Amino acid sequence: MTARALVITGYGLNSEEETAHGFDHVGFETEILHINDLADNPKELDNVQAISVPGGFSYGDDTGSGNAFAQKMRLTLGDSLKEFIARDTLTIGICNGCQVVVNLGLVPAINGEYGARQVAVTHNASARYQCRWIDMKVENKTSPWLQNIETLHVPVAHGEGRFMMEDKTLNTLKANDQIALRYSKNGESANGEFPFNPNGSTDDIAGITDESGRVLVLMPHPERGMFSWQRDDYAALKDKARRDGQALSDNSDGIKLFQNAAEYFGVNAMKKAG
Amino acid sequence: MSQRIEVFTLFEDGRAKTLEQNFTPKISGLKKIRVIDVYTIEEDLAQNQIDDCIKSFENPVTQRAFLIEDGKAPANDYESVVGKFDHAIEIGFLAGVTDNIGHTAQELTELTLGEKHNVCSSRMLLINGKLSEADINLIKAALHNPLIQRAAHKDAETFQNDNGMGITIPKVQLDNQGVATDDVKLLDASDEELIKIGKEGIANQDGTRRGPLGMSLLYMQAVQAHFKSLGRNPTDVELETLAQTWSEHCKHTIFASPIDEIKTGLYKHYIKGATNEIRTARGDDDFCISVFSDNAGGIIFDDNWMISDKVETHNSPSALDPFGGAITGIVGVNRDCMGFGQGAKPVLNRYGFCLADPRKDIEFYRGKNKMNATLSPDTIMKGVVAGVESGGNQSGIPTPQGFMYFDDRYVGKPLVFAGTVGVIPRIVNGKPSHEKAAQPGDRIIMCGGKVGRDGIHGATFSSVALDEGSPATAVQIGDPITQKKFSDAIIKEIRDLGLYNAITDNGAGGLASSVGEMGESSGGFNLALDKVPLKYPGMQPWEIWISESQERMTMAVPKENVEKLIALFAKRGVEAWDIGEFTNDGQAKLTWENETVMDMTMEFLHDGIPETPLVTTFTRGGEAEPEFAEPKDHTATLMEMLARLNICSKEFVAAQYDHNVQGSAVLGPIQGKGRVFADATVSRPVLDSKYGAVLSQGLAPRYSDIDTHHMARAALDSAVRFAVAAGADIDHLALLDNICWCSSDEPERLGQLKRAMAAIYHLAKTYRTPFISGKDSMFNDFKGYDADNNPVHIAIPPTLLISGIGVIKDVAQAVSLDPKQAGDLVYLLGETKDECGASEYYDHLGFLGNNVPEMNDDVNYALYRAVSKANKQQLCVSALAVGFGGLGVALAKKSIASGLGMDIILDDALRLDKMLYSESQGRIIVTIAPQDKDAFEKIMSDYPHVQQIGTVTDNPALNINGQVAAATPDLERAYKSTLGGY
Repeated sequence: MTARALVITGYGLNSEEETAHGFDHVGFETEILHINDLADNPKELDNVQAISVPGGFSYGDDTGSGNAFAQKMRLTLGDSLKEFIARDTLTIGICNGCQVVVNLGLVPAINGEYGARQVAVTHNASARYQCRWIDMKVENKTSPWLQNIETLHVPVAHGEGRFMMEDKTLNTLKANDQIALRYSKNGESANGEFPFNPNGSTDDIAGITDESGRVLVLMPHPERGMFSWQRDDYAALKDKARRDGQALSDNSDGIKLFQNAAEYFGVNAMKKAG
Repeated sequence: MSQRIEVFTLFEDGRAKTLEQNFTPKISGLKKIRVIDVYTIEEDLAQNQIDDCIKSFENPVTQRAFLIEDGKAPANDYESVVGKFDHAIEIGFLAGVTDNIGHTAQELTELTLGEKHNVCSSRMLLINGKLSEADINLIKAALHNPLIQRAAHKDAETFQNDNGMGITIPKVQLDNQGVATDDVKLLDASDEELIKIGKEGIANQDGTRRGPLGMSLLYMQAVQAHFKSLGRNPTDVELETLAQTWSEHCKHTIFASPIDEIKTGLYKHYIKGATNEIRTARGDDDFCISVFSDNAGGIIFDDNWMISDKVETHNSPSALDPFGGAITGIVGVNRDCMGFGQGAKPVLNRYGFCLADPRKDIEFYRGKNKMNATLSPDTIMKGVVAGVESGGNQSGIPTPQGFMYFDDRYVGKPLVFAGTVGVIPRIVNGKPSHEKAAQPGDRIIMCGGKVGRDGIHGATFSSVALDEGSPATAVQIGDPITQKKFSDAIIKEIRDLGLYNAITDNGAGGLASSVGEMGESSGGFNLALDKVPLKYPGMQPWEIWISESQERMTMAVPKENVEKLIALFAKRGVEAWDIGEFTNDGQAKLTWENETVMDMTMEFLHDGIPETPLVTTFTRGGEAEPEFAEPKDHTATLMEMLARLNICSKEFVAAQYDHNVQGSAVLGPIQGKGRVFADATVSRPVLDSKYGAVLSQGLAPRYSDIDTHHMARAALDSAVRFAVAAGADIDHLALLDNICWCSSDEPERLGQLKRAMAAIYHLAKTYRTPFISGKDSMFNDFKGYDADNNPVHIAIPPTLLISGIGVIKDVAQAVSLDPKQAGDLVYLLGETKDECGASEYYDHLGFLGNNVPEMNDDVNYALYRAVSKANKQQLCVSALAVGFGGLGVALAKKSIASGLGMDIILDDALRLDKMLYSESQGRIIVTIAPQDKDAFEKIMSDYPHVQQIGTVTDNPALNINGQVAAATPDLERAYKSTLGGY
């Protein structure tokens, strides 16, 4: 037996396969489930340890990205998502999934107020879609998703990735250590500078967690940067390894989040135990 | 009464800031812009319902939404949130135009309330600043296209007095007097009348015409003769169907017709001919699976998968509505992929734009007296770029590879290429996945969107030149999310259940094409037009039949599977309808409320088209080779060359197109630390397979000004060369041809065409690279007037786009273009000749010249085979095929990409400027690690033109023969500044 991961899809979400590939790769029993099928049977969540709302363009980003899909989840799944999170489970929202989970109010859920929208993820400062590789610094040392990760080099691809909130909320997030990831420039703060901070996000925020750290949302795409061959500098790394007479490692930064999730549930131990 | 919801953003809004930045340089009085999202609900909702809706449209963290109703004051804080402003402008859609935001708002309302209501979207700008009427008009013109949108303006005072912008619901009002079919009185029509019907369309009762059929007198006479033999007039449905089916767009008559001594026509003889001969010659090494018989071409990928490719053009619609034309182009070709075989999964998009210089203010008119102006090159460029961005990104398909090519002759007819690569298991449900055929008795199922008047006459319209009579209904806007829903349902779930026998997309010609083609395999069809779901009532039967409303697939489904299939679609939020049956009685039949409105034989429909033998002439173009002095400052010339539109970086496009989704990117469109725009990309479309797909494109339109023969050869050689340089294996490389011609009714143009086709036939055979799919667009002409009422005819340069799709066994053999380490050796592979005719260099100097690049096919083939071999051993550290701008530009691009420098010595066989900028084909620059020198040279030993020309240096500067001395950052600035501001 092993832990089960669910990747939700439908209505324009589109990164379910590569996200499922990540969970699958680290040993989860992984299922891609259409939101309508989950809505038919929300109890399905009782048998699941990790869920992901993946990237995409649910409802074309219209009425605000993630807004309409969040409404659909809210109305069709009722309290079962909150019950899922209340258990010792892991949740990750990536890109459009980040926008959905934020709009559902499952994150940052300050004071445990799951369901209340406390931050917004809005139009990039450039008002333009940006697809490029970025660097992030891991700020939160306690989230199960981010254990033993210092930095992440993965791509972004979004038109609305700018975290915005009241100053009061920002201060609370800082105080609570809920800012999980920040965009960085050569290892230092990106300080809002484009393209290092690709969207003008407040305080360079790329990802946040709930107070438990078990719910993580981020705009960049770890599932598109799991393997060396996916990297923008793959050709250079490959060349260097060849000159050094070394084999290039298969894994890259993005897979670490999935490995951490597997670690959290002892997936490998479970597998060995059969 | 209707209700209007206005959503104000209270935080900084990137959209508003960007508008301010765009307009401030042109409008000095402009102080501030705010963007307000508006949703208008047609029916009045109860208070609790409207409250829930408002909540669902508003982000409580950053926004505040207000309800606006006629005769009622909005909430108390409305005035304070609106605050002070000077002008309000609102942009909304015209009736019947696809409103994607409105569509989502409608679904959101249905979710929230549990009942359907009609909702439409618009956008209001509140502007602070002293603006003149001209300023207002400038903003309106920049933000809306009057063909599809409305723009309303009110100054603050009027806004206050009127209590706001007012409530507008665009609604299609068809004033058809009942719905019926007419007979077209054809039997006794004179040739004059036949010409008129063919050109302007069937006459309505009030004397107006329905729009061009695009039928020549010869065709009209064939129809007349056929119906004379039946003893009756055709119905309007029948005549419209024939016009559709026989259109150049659908039947490719120019390529099918006998031409000079070639009785089987250009397509069969040259294109299909090359492929057949290559497949035979390759024998067991033939990798083609399905070519020229389906919506795309398919070749072997690995043991389990087939890979398909198709490239389409969407030129005419993009001239009228660049955004709509381009988005429809990309989502349309996605459907070609889904409609390939049993349905392939779209895994890669590609694009290409041929445009006029966006920095120039060129304006022509379709009508006299400055009526119906063409859109500015800038507007067209921004529109087509945004269209592919929206369609590709929302569909979740990576769009890594593409190009932009500029020539002012594309001003009235831009070319928009859109391609989609798909993958499908080679075996689906125990059968080869490329096989499909509608069976007699199968039900005709249509899924996706409903039918409106969108794109009526799209197919016939794209087969004629754009002029004053070009129909606005030819414009349509794609809806990627509706399509994504059925794409997922079909490709990821339904296909593998084996519920349908055949599937195809609805593109040009709509149901008339899709059902007509599928009916060929069963032997007929019988379809009830009144069962086809409509967007709005009042459409005529013929309109329903040929409408090109987007986002629809047609399937042939055994009766027993229909219920299950429709239920499965419903579970995925997709609608599907049973609209008729495939038969085997040889008849193409349509009914409207049980009355027969079309009953023709399949034979006449598909084969009744009269043959039109074509004759050609040919005259070589070009001028004498110019005599001019060598430039004194070679560094300055290189900088000018790098800044040219056809050479400079197109990163602003690549960065907007998601090229990483699906996690498949290996080599993207922007390569190296210095971020250089690449000619070819590499992807790994099946995550579980190490195999890779290499995509490339090649074209050389200006060479047509001298000789289309060499234009075509350069296009093909470029596509192959770019792919091989990026790591492809020439032994597993297929090609696609997209032919965009002009004035194809003139013997001289046909002569140019014949030469081009003969050229690629021979070259493809030498390279053993088969054509697997293609498309033509034959009348890319603009006919109109200039500002002084002088008639203008602008023909595009005859343009052939060759797209390459190569398969490699391991993505580790991908080669990026950037040199990676100082001390590495720089090799030039290939021969540089005095071939600056029609080059970027001569164009820069204002010459055309005569020495267009020619080449030796066998020598080039030897090079590509050798490089393919080096690729398999991963010997090339970097490679860049020499393209526009020649060696000078290629060396500069390599330096920029590396962030390092190069010391180069070129031989003096040619004057240095010609050495640097000659566009001789068949050349690749590679860098090799010193320790691999021997291994590399051994692989190249059978190839005569290998020269080590220098080394990579730590010093970030490019030095060539002591004549060019340029710091890499300066090169980078020159390369990136031209389009960097877009």
